[in-house]
Amino acid sequence: MPAPPLPEAAPHPPRALPRSTLPDRALALLLLLLAALAIWSAQGLVVPFAGDPVGPKAFPTVIGVVLGLAALALLLRPGLGWESAGRPWRGIVCIAAMLAYAFIVVPLGFILSTALLCLVIARAFAGSWAQSLLAAALTAPGLFLLLDRVLDLPLPRGPLGF
Amino acid sequence: MDAFGHLAGGFAVALAPLNLLLALCGSVAGTAIGALPGLGPLNAIALLLPLVFALKLPPESALILLAAVYYGSGYGGRIAAILLNMPGEPAAVLTTLDGHPMARAGRGGAALAISGIGSFAGATLSVVLLTFLSVPLSRAAVGFSPADYVALIGFALSLLGAVAAGNAAKTWAAACLGLLLAMVGIDGGTGVERFTFGTVELLGGIDFTVLAIGLFAVSEILLLLESPVAAAASHLGHGARLTLAEIRRCVPTMLRSTGIGFVIGVLPGAGASIAAALSYSTEKRLNERDGTFGRGDVRGVAAPETADNAAQIGNMVPMLALGIPGSGTTAVLLGALLMYNITPGPLLFTQRPEVAWGLIASMYVGNVMLLVLNLPLVGLFARLLMVPAWALYPLVIALSFAGVYAASNSSTDLLLAVGFGVAGWMFRKLGVPLVPIVLGFVLGRLLEDNLRRALSLSDGDPMILLASPVSVVLWALTLTAILWPVIGLWKARGAAPGAPPGCPPG
Repeated sequence: MPAPPLPEAAPHPPRALPRSTLPDRALALLLLLLAALAIWSAQGLVVPFAGDPVGPKAFPTVIGVVLGLAALALLLRPGLGWESAGRPWRGIVCIAAMLAYAFIVVPLGFILSTALLCLVIARAFAGSWAQSLLAAALTAPGLFLLLDRVLDLPLPRGPLGF
Repeated sequence: MDAFGHLAGGFAVALAPLNLLLALCGSVAGTAIGALPGLGPLNAIALLLPLVFALKLPPESALILLAAVYYGSGYGGRIAAILLNMPGEPAAVLTTLDGHPMARAGRGGAALAISGIGSFAGATLSVVLLTFLSVPLSRAAVGFSPADYVALIGFALSLLGAVAAGNAAKTWAAACLGLLLAMVGIDGGTGVERFTFGTVELLGGIDFTVLAIGLFAVSEILLLLESPVAAAASHLGHGARLTLAEIRRCVPTMLRSTGIGFVIGVLPGAGASIAAALSYSTEKRLNERDGTFGRGDVRGVAAPETADNAAQIGNMVPMLALGIPGSGTTAVLLGALLMYNITPGPLLFTQRPEVAWGLIASMYVGNVMLLVLNLPLVGLFARLLMVPAWALYPLVIALSFAGVYAASNSSTDLLLAVGFGVAGWMFRKLGVPLVPIVLGFVLGRLLEDNLRRALSLSDGDPMILLASPVSVVLWALTLTAILWPVIGLWKARGAAPGAPPGCPPG
């Protein structure tokens, strides 16, 4: 008896169609600004005596010029950039949580702060509260045991000693 | 034929108990990470890099582990492509074309088996080629002057723009950003601070692990948040098992695909996805009268999988022999070597034979392990497709950050990693490729050092850059590669306006 065929796999979620050249032009301007900054900052590098004929500023200047040229090319011929599925707030919440993590990981210790971070990310990935709490409660102590205790990589300990 | 003697020495390293265990761990971890939804080879290595470094493994052991993860993920990536029609990385798109129809006909197990055999054939034959090619190549490069190296690195970077799928200007800008990031910190030649913005934390330069984790792992998670990959149950199917006759029918395909994959892999800049596409279209054209390609032909599964793994190994040739990585993943491997103060390149084979030959020998061992692991256990790895997003991605981020912290003991590096993650996320949405950033970062110091050394030798006369025939040829090739997209632009303008530029017909 032949096995029933597999159901048709769901196709990828369609990406939103790009609409305007604005993102590419904004990117080009940003890159142009970066190039100008790099070149300007490189000109300030002075060495008391010439150890080698090139010095520290030639290379950043050249790369800055190439970056500027690439940015100009992009500005003149922008593509249709920015793929978006239109749920930016989840990303923003996660970025905020990750930034906060960098500040709390030493004072709070690895286990507590990592559990909080995992909770936020699990919720952002549409986990229910129970699922997210489970993910946080297993991931943080599990990693601490594996990395700090088994593999002997020191992770920050909080006021409670873990 | 001293390659055999060196290889024997390499096997002595690769078969040491610790290294054997690490190769096994790497193979399992690589297959698992490759199979997990949304995580490809680059993420696999980026995630493990800081941990490996913090564990203070000897360099050859670290490299054996990371390389096993690298080629192991090539075996894992096909599972989702075949069973669920979800390619986890660009190279796996071609595998879906015939692999998924086979799965829908109930022959998912057979498709996975032939792709495993193809991966093994492509990888192992390529390691044989690597064994015999890298020493002559590195010997030819021993005579390279600093000026020749400048030309070689210029050529490698220019190829990126020529083969880039997207906008060439964005590729160039990305490479420049990588080069600028490499300059952050104290200039080795003069002791001047560059681009440190007056901070102490940046004096030592940007840590490679921070860049890799941020750009790849963190940005991947942010991207997945917008369009999450749904976890799904999958079945291997109960259709006919793979027959010996089918394997025999794939042998010529595998041999041709290995050739294509290896050659494409050796060229810097051209990655595994190009190799997979080229080998698939070659096989399709050769077997046109059968009309079975695209409907579940075993050869259509074997071709891209063989070429993919052959190209992965081919990528290692310029990395080991010349010190010039050809792909994002080998750039990360090179970054790992540089963290150990080992400079790959011509002298690696003579100065650190245990690293070079230990790695090569371990690739023979690792691929046998992977074949043995993958044929019977593929069902187990396929279960990983069911791991839900809310369990997997918090773990990935926690592991990333633990790795960054363990490698540097600094929470500033965590902020930096998040910053790179946000930048990488934006760049991906804008179509700016990330691989040139890593390549530029890794090659930046090498390029500047050689440039300054060359100009010191000539007392500042730039003509030294064109003094040797090697450099003249390389600069000519570089110029061609730079002008290639411009020529393409011309042609596209002449062509019908309906045809998007850069897309091959068919």
